[in-house]
Parts: sequence; C-alpha cells; structure tokens
Amino acid sequence: MEEWKPNAVLKPHKKRSWYLAWKYKLMNQRALRKLCQTGAVLFLLVTVIVNIKLILDTRRAAYEEEEESAQDYDDELLNVEVPRHPVSNKKVLDVEVYSSRSKVYVAVDGTTVLEDEAREQGRGIHVIVLNQATGHVMAKRVFDTYSPHEDEAMVLFLNMVARGRILIFTIKDEGSFHLKDTAKNVLKSLGSQVAPFLSWRDMWTFVGKKGGEVYGEKHAKSPALSTWGDPVLLKTEVHLTSVEDAECHWPDTELNRRRRRFCSKVEGYGSVCSCKDPTPIEFNPDPLKDNRVFDVPVAVIAGNRPNYLYRMLRSLLSAQGVNPRMIMVFIDGYYEEPMDVVELFGLSGIQHTPISIKNARVSQHYKASLTATFNLFPDAKFAVVLEEDLDISVDFFSFLSQSIYLLEEDESLYCISAWNDQGYEHTAEDPSLLYRVETMPGLGWVLRKSLYKDELEPKWPTPEKLWDWDMWMRMPEQRKGRECIIPDISRSYHFGIVGLNMNGYFHEAYFKKHKFNTVPNVQLKNVESLRKDAYETEIHRLLGEAEVLDHSKDPCEDSFVPDTEGKVYVMFIKMEQEADFTTWTQLAKCLHIWDLDVRGNHKGLWRLFRKKNHFLVVGVPASPYSSKKPSSVVPIYMEPPAKEEGAVAVPAVAAAEQT
Amino acid sequence: MQKINKNAVLALLTLSSLVFLLFQLYYYRSYLAHKNGAVFSKVRGSQSGQDSTRWHVVRKFLSLISSHNIPVYLIDPLILGLVDKDIEQIRSSSDGPSPECKYFCVPRDFTTFALLDKTWKHEVGLFRTAEKMGFQWLKVLNKDPRLDGMDDLSGTEIPLHYIFKLASHAIHLVVFYERSGNYLWHGPLRLKQHMDRKFVPFRKLHFGRYPGAYEKPELLLVSIDDLKIQIPKNPSSFLEEMTHSRFLECRYREARAFFQLYPDDASVDAVEFRKRAKSLLHLAALTLNNLGVKFWLSSGTCLGWYRQCNVIPYSKDVDLGIFIRDYKADIIPAFQKAGLPLKHKFGKVEDSLELSFQGEDDVKLDIFFFYEEDDHIWNGGTQAKSGKKFKYLFPKFTLCWTEFVELKVHVPCETLQYVEANYGPDWKVPVKTWDWKSSPSNVQYNGVWPVDEWDDVIQIY
Repeated sequence: MEEWKPNAVLKPHKKRSWYLAWKYKLMNQRALRKLCQTGAVLFLLVTVIVNIKLILDTRRAAYEEEEESAQDYDDELLNVEVPRHPVSNKKVLDVEVYSSRSKVYVAVDGTTVLEDEAREQGRGIHVIVLNQATGHVMAKRVFDTYSPHEDEAMVLFLNMVARGRILIFTIKDEGSFHLKDTAKNVLKSLGSQVAPFLSWRDMWTFVGKKGGEVYGEKHAKSPALSTWGDPVLLKTEVHLTSVEDAECHWPDTELNRRRRRFCSKVEGYGSVCSCKDPTPIEFNPDPLKDNRVFDVPVAVIAGNRPNYLYRMLRSLLSAQGVNPRMIMVFIDGYYEEPMDVVELFGLSGIQHTPISIKNARVSQHYKASLTATFNLFPDAKFAVVLEEDLDISVDFFSFLSQSIYLLEEDESLYCISAWNDQGYEHTAEDPSLLYRVETMPGLGWVLRKSLYKDELEPKWPTPEKLWDWDMWMRMPEQRKGRECIIPDISRSYHFGIVGLNMNGYFHEAYFKKHKFNTVPNVQLKNVESLRKDAYETEIHRLLGEAEVLDHSKDPCEDSFVPDTEGKVYVMFIKMEQEADFTTWTQLAKCLHIWDLDVRGNHKGLWRLFRKKNHFLVVGVPASPYSSKKPSSVVPIYMEPPAKEEGAVAVPAVAAAEQT
Repeated sequence: MQKINKNAVLALLTLSSLVFLLFQLYYYRSYLAHKNGAVFSKVRGSQSGQDSTRWHVVRKFLSLISSHNIPVYLIDPLILGLVDKDIEQIRSSSDGPSPECKYFCVPRDFTTFALLDKTWKHEVGLFRTAEKMGFQWLKVLNKDPRLDGMDDLSGTEIPLHYIFKLASHAIHLVVFYERSGNYLWHGPLRLKQHMDRKFVPFRKLHFGRYPGAYEKPELLLVSIDDLKIQIPKNPSSFLEEMTHSRFLECRYREARAFFQLYPDDASVDAVEFRKRAKSLLHLAALTLNNLGVKFWLSSGTCLGWYRQCNVIPYSKDVDLGIFIRDYKADIIPAFQKAGLPLKHKFGKVEDSLELSFQGEDDVKLDIFFFYEEDDHIWNGGTQAKSGKKFKYLFPKFTLCWTEFVELKVHVPCETLQYVEANYGPDWKVPVKTWDWKSSPSNVQYNGVWPVDEWDDVIQIY
C-alpha cells in the first residue's frame, strides 16, 4: 500500500519541465519505458486484489466475532433435535386385530398398539379408541366382562367416547359370561352384528366408527363348553377424516386451548370434551376468609390412573380456599395420560423415574415427592399430602385452616388427617367434631416440614426395603407417641377400586360406606380442646356426663344403644394391657367398621356415633379412663371366632390399605 | 493517441485504487462502530430520538406487565447506579413530572428487570399482549435446580430469562426463584440450539453468565423519569451484592455416583450427627452473618458438600474458613452468646489464628483464618502439646454462593483446586482415619511457637 503512494502524489502539471524531460528521456529508451508501464499496471492490479482480500478478511472477522459473542451462552448440552415424524398425508389406516384365548394384539399401520399375551391377565374385552383424523391411540381399556359389573363400566366408557372416534374391540380368553343385554345392545348400536349373540369362549374382533360405519367384524364360535373358539384375525382399512372435522369449535380462549390439546389426545373423559356443552375445567370456588392454608403446598401423589386423577383434581379444584398455584402433582413413572390430565387443569406436574418395586416403589415415590415439595416451596412449614384416588370435601381447606395452628404449636401432634378410619355412614355424625387418635390415618393429611426434614427424611426406608410408607410412619420409632387430629366426618373419600393393595371386594367392605362431608364452611367446635392437656379435660368431662350402657346386652345388637338422639353413652370392654385388642376387634367387626387393625384409639378409648348418640368405648383396665367404670359394671369380653374362619379373608388383605 | 491512452489508463487505475482505499477506510470505521457501539444505536445523528426510544420501550413494557398484574422490579446495574447517586432525592420527591429524562434515556442496549416466580401464574396471555404491542420476545427455559438433587425427578422446565425486544431496545427480565435457605436464585442464560443467537447481543447482558444468589430484597416504589417503578430499597447494597452473586450448584449427579460406590450411612448415629452438624452450621451462619463476617465451608465440610452434597457423617466437626482481614474481635463473644463456648484458640491475629467452639452433643465448630499472600493463601495449625506450627497452602481462590443443608453459604469457586490442595488427588475416596498434622497433602511444617508466647497462642478451655 505504502509503495504506490508516490504514484498517487504524482502531480504532473506542476513540475512539467522536469516531467517532460523525464518523459522524453524515457521515450528514448523504449524498452525500459514499456517495462515501467507494465510494472505500474501490474502493481496497481495487485493493490486492488490485496484490497479486496482485506475487505473480505475484515468482514469475516467481524462475522466470527459476532458468532462468538453468543457462544458463552450456548447450552452445553447438545440438544439433539428429535426428528419429527413426517406428517403422513395418508388417508387410510391399515388395522389388524387379533383375538384368541391367550393372546390379543392390535396393529395400526404396522405399529403394534396393543399386545397382551401375559398369562392370567387381561381377560375380557379390550377396547382401543383411535382419533379419526390422526389415527393416534386415545384410550386403551380392558373390561373383564367375565366378572360381574365390568360390562357396566364398559357401557359407561363407551358412552363417554365422542362421536366419530374409531373403536376397536377384541376378546381375550373369555368376554361374554357377565356381558349383559344392556352392554350387548350398546355394541349392537355401534354396528356389531355378532355382539348380541356372543357366547361362552367365543373369539371376536370388531372395528367401527362411533355413530358411523363399520370397518369390519370377525367372530369364531366356541364349539364346546370346554374349548375356545378359533383365533380370529381381522384385517381392515379405516378412512381418516380431516382434523377440522375431528375437533370441536370452541371459542379460542386459553382454557379451550388446553381443552383442545387434551381432547385431541385422550378419550374417555366424557363431557369435558363435549362439543356442545363442555364441562368447565376452571372452577373458581369461593375463597376462604382468613385462609391459613392458602400458602401451604399440596402434593398430589399419583400413579398411572389418569381417570382417578381427573376425578380427584376436579374435586380438589372445587374445594373452597384452594390455591392452584400450590398444587404439585407427582406422577410415578413416565406416563403421558396423567400428565395430560394435569395440564388440562393448568397445574404443574412432575414425573418420577420408578425406583424399586411394589410397596417400596410407592414408598420411594412418596419420599421423592415430599422432598421435592419442600424444595419447591422453601417457605412452607407444612405440606398437604393427597392421593389420586380421593375425593376432596368442599370444606377440606376450611377444616385445615381452622386446625393447622395446632400442628404448629402442639409438639405432641404427629399430623392432621382428613380421614376418620371409623367414620362410616352409621358411625359418624358431627361435621364440627374433631378427635385425637394414636393412629395415622393418611388419606389426605398435613405433614409438618420439621417432622419430615429432621426425622423422617434422613431415615426413610431405602429402596430395598419393601415396606409400606404408611405402615412405617405408624411404627412407634417414628410416631414416638404423638397423635393425629382427625374429624368425625371425613373430609376425603377413598374411591379407588383398583390399586396395589386394593380390589373391588375390599373397597366395598371397607370404604364404600364411609361418610364424607358435603356441607361447606363447617365451623369446627372447640378446636382449642384438641391440645394435649385440654383434650384430657374434655374426655373426662365427656365420660363424666356419659350414661353407662346396659352391659348385660349384646353390644352387637342394635338395641344395645337406646333409641335416643344427642346423648353420650359409654361402654367398657376388656383390654388386659395396652396391646390387647381382642374384644375391640370383635366389636369392630360386628359394628361393621374398620377391623383389620386397630385404628382411631386414644389411650384405650374409641369415640364414634351410634344412632346419632356419641358412643364411647373404654378398654378396661388398660385405659387410664378405666377409673370411670362403675364398680358394678363388668367389662364386656368378646371371644374371637375359631381360627379357621377368621383366617380366610383377613390375612390376604390384612393391613392393606390406601395407595 | 497511444500515449494519452496509457496515461489515461494509469490515471484510471490510480483513481480506482483511491476509491478502494476510501471504501476500505469507511468499512473499517463501520466495523469499529459495530464492535464498540450499540448494535441498535447505529444512528448517531438522532441521539435524542434514540434516548426517548429507550424510555418509551421501558414505559411500554411496564404497562404490559402491569396490565397482567405482574410485579417486577428494576435491577439494571447502570440505572440503579445512577439512581443510587440521587437516592435521597428520589425517595423524598413527590410524583410531580420530572423536567428531564435522566435515567431511562441513558445510552444502553438493555434495561433489566427482576420477577419473582411465585408472584405470577405463567399466563400465556402476557406474550400475546406483548406481541400485539409490537414486542418480539424470547424465553429461556432450563431444568429446575430445586429438583436436581432429587433421584430422577423430571419436572417441566422452568423459565429463567425473558427478553422483550422493541425497536432498538430490549428488556431483559430475569426470573428469580425462592430456594431452601431463604434466598433468591436466578439461573444462567444458555441458548438452545434452535434459538436465535443474534436476537440481542447476549454478551452484554448483566445477568445470566452465571447463576446467581441474592437475599430477598426490600422494595421501594418510586417515580423515576415519570415512570412508577419498584427498585431495591437500598440500590448500592444490591449493586454490591451483584458483584459477587455467582452461585454454584452442588454436583448432585457426581454425589449420586459417589453414593453408588460408597453407600450412605443411614445408621441412627449418622442421622443424629448430620442433624446436629446441620443445626450447628445454621447457628454459626446466623452468628457470623449478624456480625457481617464473610465465611466459607472449609476442610471436611467443604469436601462433604463437593463430594456428596451432604455432611460427612464421620467427620465429627464443622469447619469454616474466614479471611483474616475479616476478623473481628466480637466473634468470640458472639459465639459464646449464641451458646457455643470457646474450646480452644491457637495462634494470634498476626499468625496462624484458629478458633474452636464447642457445639451441643460433642460436635465442634472449627474456624480457620486464612492469610493471603501474593501467589497463595494459607492457614495455620498448632499442636497444643508441642507448640509445633503447621501451615496449609492453597492456591488463590474467590468465593461463590451455594446451597448446603438448606443454607445459603460460601464455598471457594475453584472448589476442585481447593479440595485437591487439601485432600490430594484421591479426595474421592472416603478416608476415615485422618490426622490433621500429616494427612493433608498441603501441610508444611512451620516451626515452633516461642515458649514465652505459649500462654497467648495456645489457649485451651
């Protein structure tokens, strides 16, 4: 660059004489002149090239600089973009459905969406719902119509499925034994020719559109009672509709966007996806005055029972004083559908990689959920713990708001629970009444952070221990003599029928008849008297005014308690030492309350209602309240039945509970 | 004819060269401007127009968030710096219109605001409105660190930063989360692959290079440049806090790997010791914070944090480090007042000071004082019976915040070097028999205290 400057400053006009002289001189030396000229031209050309190159260089440098500037902020993790499946424009789905004694499968466009060849499982009618526009699986259910009542559940489900959806049916093993006419008619109305005549051990497959055409049906009759029909394989084609046709035309709001997302993915939630009149997904219950639990986090412990979760969250979000911001749903496993339910309601959900098996898995899930809850809400002193198979009473938060200060102030308390183990339709009466009990009922309860952080978390059962978390929490090492506060009428209702420790029979016997409060804004009675010492005074007062029942009568008989209302009665049973519950268990059995283990006791005293009278049971002589027994009264002793009888049902489900 | 042509060619070439030179100069100039000056504020001529643009963008943003009832507060270091100079005046001034745009018009690319996560509901509506108002926005999500320590929980990702861009100005909204230990945390700003790297010059952001930890600030509603706005009540202390707010997350993944190799001790004794150590640490932190003495986790406690994110159950004591320049004579009485009697005191302020307090149930609190040299930092040790002195050398380090047993505490930012200096390259292997005079890999013999000083430098209670 420097070198061509002399050229640039060359000013031919001023020094003309010198220039001319030089010029003529040069003209004389032609060769030299030519050389110089060529040299100059070449030199200039080089300069031009160098310049261009320089420009390009600066430009690139500037560009790199910019690139680099954002580099510090790059995510270190390589976020490999998941290649999206190309949206297939195919309008036709190939569907294959297989039905046989030991195996069923359904394949859509070559992808297996259902395969069940497990032994002793999956008996009955398998139903799959496909989205008529996308072909995605929206619901998968199996109804064991060999057993009673399952056909009713199937009818309920089929009625909830939106019109236009594609339904696929296949039978595994046996599906007709308890398939009643109502259910058969529903199947017939879907277009099935065979359903009305389905019989013992027939094989059957059917594909149709709800409220529309039939795509195929195959059936194989069982030749004899002892044998099954031949396996059937149905291959058919389903024509897809456009997305617009498959969706409802709800107004475009944030809520409806959530609804649309949900309804295009899953099926079987009924009116929430109804086009005409969808049920609300926002509830806005009345706020509570002086809500002391507004900032208390609510941990909802869930597994893969999305329909339960849906029902549970609906009731929770409808409870007065609920604060949706504080609700955290913890899902055990990477299940999509429960997460869809959580998102439908606009709540936060967290998924948990399953650790360990069976009870230990539940236990680890509880631990992770509780720890996460206190991490996410570091200010919280308490957490409300709920499970996915509970209905929540409308005054659940009101109940807690009125009582939670006790948990803060009274060191002798272990928890507040919304559940009264002994609170059945016929044994609970007063929504404003609270008890202190030595057992931990769970099923909707409040945990103190200090209890969890200082005591429970550090020694929580490790994954290899197959313990029930609730049983562990009830152990004396953990409970240390502390008590829980419970209401007379439960503020939660356990509706779960399927579960780890749960089955239909068990539910019917022990949970179905449980009383559940539906009255809003119940003003609790005398919460102060629930403190440790005040409660003793209260009990003594109660026993003082209680009328001693006639101990010569049979306590199981209805006539044992007079036909009065609002009175207090007491009876004394035999209880040799603190752990002697022989008579109590027999009494519980004949009263049809919880008898699988001892629940709801306080120092050898049980409190319940009979015929709208407060009914106290005191264990003599173990209970400190035995002194209240008139000397003339002989405590009732009830003998346990002979071993074989008692051992039939109980051990199978003994102490099983919740979850 | 031919001659003239040749001259003409020459002149033409000269001319073109000149043009190139000029072009090059111009290009270089604009490149420089690009590099130093604002990307947005290229236009130098209409300075005042630019100034008011910034003010307008801020005003629009404030109206956007107030229409959605989202409480934000100003944390922009540049503006808070200016505000701090006039803080008295701003506090006392009424709402009268201000004569000039003094703060929000100063040249800058961003205005930074903070948002407390728990005070808003993540409504999508906000962004729709923002778009209608003409904002372009960018959301930076990442994992929730509050669930990081947990075995395999996967929550939804949480928003850490938002950037709203309008015309030539951008608003950086930093989301703060409350964490266990009663402090606020903001995340790092990391762009995912699909994100627009040139949305704004990310390098110039004041927040986001590292995660940060802050005290919960007290807020003050003021009117600045005719805008009603929340600011930290004490801007200067906030700015001071900001300069060393860097936060280190515990290495949960590595800690889990460690426990895979060496299963945790869940015995009653271990649980009890951890509980006691935790409450002792909480008490010590409270006492020192009240005195305004900066401290960090040292020795075994630091190793416990770094290696297993927990107290080492067999470590028997809690170890803290304090720079000798932060030493205060009140430390001993303050601890005694807190119920921790002095157990022993070795050395003196000028040399090898070390304090030891007796906590409840046999847990000891050791405080080592650190002396800074040009190229290293050291602390001293003294053997009571022989008067021997020891010196433990560490490479220079700075302090970062972290969370440990529900407490926001300092640790050396260069933790690995610190731990390796102390415990050698095999620090990952648990060692239960530890001799403080010979086990550490950075120990040096440092002579003997003169006998006449023993009464002063070796005090045992």
